[in-house]
Amino acid sequence: MGVVASTVAAAAPGARFIELRRVSKTFESGDGSRTEALQALDLEVREREFVSILGPSGCGKSTLLRIIAGLMSFDGEDVVVDGESVSRPRQDVGVVFQTANLLPWRNVAANLALGVEIRGESLDSARLAAMVEMLGLTGFESRYPHELSGGMKQRVALGQALVRDPKLLLLDEPFGALDALTRDKLNIELLRIWQAEQKTVVLVTHSITEAVLLSDRVLVLSGRPGKVIEDVGIDLPRPREPRTTRQSPEFSRLVGYLGELMGVV
Amino acid sequence: MKHQVVRHALQSGAFFLALGLLWEGSVRVFEIRSYLLPPLSAIVRELVSSRALLFRHLFITLEEVLLGFVLAVLGGALMAVAVFFIPIAKRTIYPLLIGLQSIPKVGLAPLIVVWFGYGVTSKVVMSFLFAFFPIVISALGGLAGTPSHLVEHFRALGAPPWITFWKLRVPSALPSFVDGCKVAMPLAVIGAVVGEFVGSNEGLGNLILLSTSSSRGSLTFAALAAVTALSLGLFAIVAGLGKWVWWRAQ
Repeated sequence: MGVVASTVAAAAPGARFIELRRVSKTFESGDGSRTEALQALDLEVREREFVSILGPSGCGKSTLLRIIAGLMSFDGEDVVVDGESVSRPRQDVGVVFQTANLLPWRNVAANLALGVEIRGESLDSARLAAMVEMLGLTGFESRYPHELSGGMKQRVALGQALVRDPKLLLLDEPFGALDALTRDKLNIELLRIWQAEQKTVVLVTHSITEAVLLSDRVLVLSGRPGKVIEDVGIDLPRPREPRTTRQSPEFSRLVGYLGELMGVV
Repeated sequence: MKHQVVRHALQSGAFFLALGLLWEGSVRVFEIRSYLLPPLSAIVRELVSSRALLFRHLFITLEEVLLGFVLAVLGGALMAVAVFFIPIAKRTIYPLLIGLQSIPKVGLAPLIVVWFGYGVTSKVVMSFLFAFFPIVISALGGLAGTPSHLVEHFRALGAPPWITFWKLRVPSALPSFVDGCKVAMPLAVIGAVVGEFVGSNEGLGNLILLSTSSSRGSLTFAALAAVTALSLGLFAIVAGLGKWVWWRAQ
């Protein structure tokens, strides 16, 4: 369907990892009115693939992510992650939400450790140091959330998901609440981290440039009820260097095309 | 900065000194009888000369208050957890609690003394009754006020219920619980003193009652000062311990 048919990544994506078959979701509010958030949605993500879900606000993007995470019930056929039907959250999945869910009584190190503590493990100091280094948080290990900027909090939230060494990372507009500069910076960091860790990632976003810069594939959702209206392969070479990637004509073409699809151009 | 702190302290000090002098002066000028209002100096003298007597009664009241308060803290926390997690408790025990709370506890005091006797026990019960409710309500509010985005986050992390309880709900309820304890501490003192008023052989409440009926105004005021100091001291200890819980779950 997409203008770019082939999907080429540095490491070619592997076997099918996530599959949604005809998934619907209807919310019923207190007064009995029903809102259809998703309608018979099909979706497939391959192993080690970075897929962004792009759509207007209120189109059910976050609902979709919560269903994949096992946080929300759904109607329809099936949701499969790594060969298993999803019925509740899995230990090998990391979720990062728009608000950094940090515990105010724990410092950075302890908030990072929470990711594995919940499995009854502890975070050894070498791994903690490596994570802190990768997130660019060196020197902030013993700071508390109220002493951190919004961008730093999101780094910690991302780190808390990464220390679990998840097979799948679900990101729900993780940088959506940040200013444009911080957001750009964190996208570059995320690109670097993904290129080092090669997880399967599903990113929900409403930023077209963010989606194009990071993804192997962008799924465009329609307005409510959400359906995949376009599946766009992002054929930019990997590893991507943020500056040159953004300056390439292919990048502008994809951004323009997606903008047209979403009706912003 | 430091200069300003000193100046502010001097202002407060001057105010209270003036108030004390006004008291002392008016009592002397208007020749107020000492069983009505003794001069400040007489109360200070009484505090010194009757210190052994005051301390004996103070320790009795302290014992009653501490027992009542500690039981209220433990019982209140347990009750809040039970009401929060057991749906049937919310429909049965919780309305019962609200109903009981609505009974004026001062009115209950004579019954409590009849039931539990003239000794320490009835005052512990009174102290407990005064302190219990604010602790339950604050702990319950704290548990229920755990931010829902954090609860969802723990679910996303696959946390079992007891981990969510210990690592999320308890710490996020603690600030509110500490506030409840701060409210409850002076109430526990009031409860014990009310119990002593209604029927007792000892304690500061008893001393206030006896000294008033024997027209020893300065001793009454000295005993009042001792109760106040006890209440303030215990509050300061609770507030000091509460500083350990510095965070607010947002």
